[in-house]
Amino acid sequence: MQRINKNVVLALLTLTSSVFLLFQLYYYKYYLSPKNGAVFSKVKGSQSGQDGIQWHVIKKFLGLVSSHNAPVYLIDPLVLGLIQKDYEQLSSSSDGMSPECKYFCAARDFTTFALLDKTWKHEVSLFRAAEKMGFQWLKIQNKDPRLEGMDDLSGIEIPLHYIFKLAAHAIHLVVFYERNGNYVWHGPLRLKQNIDRKFVPFRKLHFGRFAGAYNKPEVLQLSIDDLKVQIPKNLSQFLEEMSHSRFLECRYREARAFFQLYPDDASLDAVEFRKKAKALLHLAALTLNNLGVRFWLSSGTCLGWYRQCNIIPYSKDMDLGVFIQDYKSDIIPAFQKAGLPLKHKFGKVEDSLELSFQGEDDVKLDIFFFYEDDDHIWNGGTQAKSGKKFKYLFPKFTLCWTEFVELKVHVPCETLQYVEANYGKDWKVPVKVWDWKNSPSNVQYNGMWPVDEWDDVIQVY
Amino acid sequence: MDEWKPNAPAKQFVPRKNRSWYLAWKYKLMNQRAVRRLCQMGAVLFLLVTVIVNIKLILDTRRAASEEEEESAQDYDEGVQHLETPRRPTSSRKVLDIEVYSSRAKVYVAVDGTTVLEDEAREQGRGIHIIVLNQATGHVMAKRVFDTYSPHEDEAMVLFLNMVARGRILIFSIKDEGSFHLKDSAKSLLKSLGSQVVSSLSWRDMWSFVGKKGGEVYGEKHSKSPALSTWGDPVLLKTEVQLTSVEDAECRWPDTELNRRRRRFCTKVEGYGSVCSCKDPTPIEFNPDPLKDNKVLNVPVAVIAGNRPNYLYRMLRSLLSAQGVNPQMITVFIDGYYEEPMDVVELFGLKGIQHTPISIKNARVSQHYKASLTATFNLHPDAKFAVVLEEDLDISIDFFSFLSQSIYLLEEDDSLYCISAWNDQGYEHTAEDPSLLYRVETMPGLGWVLSKSLYKDELEPKWPTPEKLWDWDMWMRMPEQRKGRECIIPDVSRSYHFGIVGLNMNGYFHEAYFKKHKFNTVPNVQLRNVESLKKDAYEIEIHRLLAEAAVLDHSKNPCEDSFLPDTEGKTYVMYIRMEQEADFTTWTQLAKCLHVWDLDVRGNHKGLWRLFRKKNHVLVVGVPASPYSSKKPSAVTPIYMEPPAKEEVAGQVAAAEQT
Repeated sequence: MQRINKNVVLALLTLTSSVFLLFQLYYYKYYLSPKNGAVFSKVKGSQSGQDGIQWHVIKKFLGLVSSHNAPVYLIDPLVLGLIQKDYEQLSSSSDGMSPECKYFCAARDFTTFALLDKTWKHEVSLFRAAEKMGFQWLKIQNKDPRLEGMDDLSGIEIPLHYIFKLAAHAIHLVVFYERNGNYVWHGPLRLKQNIDRKFVPFRKLHFGRFAGAYNKPEVLQLSIDDLKVQIPKNLSQFLEEMSHSRFLECRYREARAFFQLYPDDASLDAVEFRKKAKALLHLAALTLNNLGVRFWLSSGTCLGWYRQCNIIPYSKDMDLGVFIQDYKSDIIPAFQKAGLPLKHKFGKVEDSLELSFQGEDDVKLDIFFFYEDDDHIWNGGTQAKSGKKFKYLFPKFTLCWTEFVELKVHVPCETLQYVEANYGKDWKVPVKVWDWKNSPSNVQYNGMWPVDEWDDVIQVY
Repeated sequence: MDEWKPNAPAKQFVPRKNRSWYLAWKYKLMNQRAVRRLCQMGAVLFLLVTVIVNIKLILDTRRAASEEEEESAQDYDEGVQHLETPRRPTSSRKVLDIEVYSSRAKVYVAVDGTTVLEDEAREQGRGIHIIVLNQATGHVMAKRVFDTYSPHEDEAMVLFLNMVARGRILIFSIKDEGSFHLKDSAKSLLKSLGSQVVSSLSWRDMWSFVGKKGGEVYGEKHSKSPALSTWGDPVLLKTEVQLTSVEDAECRWPDTELNRRRRRFCTKVEGYGSVCSCKDPTPIEFNPDPLKDNKVLNVPVAVIAGNRPNYLYRMLRSLLSAQGVNPQMITVFIDGYYEEPMDVVELFGLKGIQHTPISIKNARVSQHYKASLTATFNLHPDAKFAVVLEEDLDISIDFFSFLSQSIYLLEEDDSLYCISAWNDQGYEHTAEDPSLLYRVETMPGLGWVLSKSLYKDELEPKWPTPEKLWDWDMWMRMPEQRKGRECIIPDVSRSYHFGIVGLNMNGYFHEAYFKKHKFNTVPNVQLRNVESLKKDAYEIEIHRLLAEAAVLDHSKNPCEDSFLPDTEGKTYVMYIRMEQEADFTTWTQLAKCLHVWDLDVRGNHKGLWRLFRKKNHVLVVGVPASPYSSKKPSAVTPIYMEPPAKEEVAGQVAAAEQT
């Protein structure tokens, strides 16, 4: 008897929940989907007209921010991607109202906008107004990285991300900050303890997994789906930038700990060297960027960044890495034009290429070219007098942005492996005597250059 | 045929297999009743949850949809209704236990067992200690000590007490001596607060008093000093204070963003006067006129502050009232984790950054400067310049106009290294023309512009390290840093140094050197001939002035007023003896008798000083060191003034502090 009763209860419950399920289906079909467009059914889009809930939310949001003088611009990769396809048509017919909501109504859960901090006066009334309009909002703030590098300054936390939620759509507003090195930066999105983790599906956000660095934006206004929005002027460039915008902050705390152990050299010589090295690095970065050659901090310069967030004062040169596929023949003339004569050239494009330029007062700029193998990346070295070849092996890595001596530059994202490959596990201990042929822990003897090639592969000026 | 029907049983097999699987499962579970029950319960629970979640979802979506509908009608207009912030009624009225101790060597005040004041340092903290408590929360809102043994301190105390809002709890306690210069006006104020004994308070008496401003007296104790050479016995006053409700302690200002800031400030601190007045609070937003073509709108402004919140308050008021100010570019750097300066910064809605103190005394100031400047340029990466201000300056209404007109000089003339708003020699009687600028070899500071390149390329890398106890400004004036460059200054200063407490500052020093400084109050002054301040143009200008200047009668005493003829608006020149570049003997004596800055040499340009006397422009040329000596008529003998006796000089040099 008891068993039967239970079964009856079970059956009843199943029935009720099926009824509810049916009701849910009905509800979505007849009530929500014509209104909300693509949120719940992915096939909508063009037919739904401009009634899409996203469109409404975005319209409200844009009204809100413009009435509070916050010049936001659209950086949503999905929407921008759609816009990019029809870009010419959109920009030519400035007031050509398309009958359908093509871009903002496309299926997605949120739309991403950006706000440049310095263009906004932080009008707090915006948030009250947002609440009155029915938005729920969330602010994610954190320490100001521009002050992180400095001893003992504690600023107020700065807002990094805002999320405005209305009905089933959310606006993700990413706050960008200008930083030293002529670029803008946005912070990572990290939730603090007391923050509602279910506010939006944070993992799906396009921005915030890592910090990011971008060129300063140029924006233009377009009328899209009957809404006036600012978008990045060069769309393809922006989308391209976005795909590898990851930014690593220097490890300031570790650097401070390092300087506790090994006090910094504050002598006039060190000051002078750093000044020259910094100028050289700025010049090199300018030259390579103008050529469109991707480069990263390598060897001692990379170690200096990673270990002490500064140039190592007793290193004698600046080291950069470049993938051999990014090699351009006009690198040498460009440097010469910039006032940096070629000092030596070892190897050839096919093998172990290395260029060295003479900076001001004995500060040298070394550019090592990196070759990719199946499971590692390597660069070569050549001993001029003997024609011996060396090979330095690194585990594979990708490139991240960072800020170094007021410059936005690349470093290997997997910096620790990179530095450890080069300097061993003891990289934290300063070593002043360094032999490039023996000291590195990843050096391998790589045979000899054939004597008949010496004229070509060993050029010393 | 039978063998050729493999599919038929297979078809039937499906349900059978299912059933048998189900039965097997059932039997298996029958044997394990507990497991089966658990599963059933789980299923029931799961179903229930589904049902609830469904209902909730439906409700949620419906609500969101209906909200959306309402919203579209209401649109974006804001400020229609004022949200009433719900206040918790403080049902339980609390009582505070207060202990106040007054003695020769120690004072302390404890509120509910927590010591809020304790001062037993020797040779410090003499006078009347005052603590202001919030009558609703019991929080300490202000702590002051007025050394009423010394003159004028009682006036400051009266000023302070008048600023405290009615209803606040006031606690008084004397340490050591507090009556010698406690004048009748101060005594009568204390009497009006309810003190019975203050009129008979005399030399080395001990006294503790707790009362409410404009209300009841909670307790008073007093012990007379028996003789001139001894102190009164220590007194310990224990009393209770009834707390009022929060509503009674707060003002009813309209609920705006500004007033919310004001309320936050006024419930925390006291002693800022009308900003917290209930009836007619003074504004905290100023909206001065913008400047036309403002070249310094986006120049960051760093305000260097310590723990002098009242100064900071006054300073920020004047800064935010200056025409062309851009509050967004202002950052206040506070040396130390002091709360009250931060409260002031937040009252005005500005950015504040606190800095852990490094080192001591002058080096601490110097490290604070470095950190502040570095942070300023980090926070504003495209800034080419930064304006540096200190917390004890009043800022002239045309401060930014002055900078906007002159800042391009820093870019175009690399023989310059700063623009300062302060003329070291610009006193009431020696400065006259707000449109006039000078070039000087000494960096005056006190409101100045620094270029990023100078800071980043030259100063920052070799800034004095903490263990060097140097003054940053002295260091900046050293030839290694200055490298022969000069600063632009106005004749009439655009800043006013009002601080009388500070690291290198005291009342006497301030009175002698800062009080009579001229300060521009005219808005929108059009600077004259800014182009002529460039390196070469300035020499032409000086030669023009020298050519038109009348030579003063060198036989007269240059200290006397009659040294100048009774004219107005004329240009004169006088020649003083100056053997070589560093010989300032005569100048120093002249500066002394003219009552201008004489503690070190300021305001010179190639052995030339420019100032006004009796509304006439006077050029003072040092002969023969100055290149302008060639203009001296051969008949004129340069004036020589004898330095005073040695000891006196030594004393003065010791007092020679930077400003």
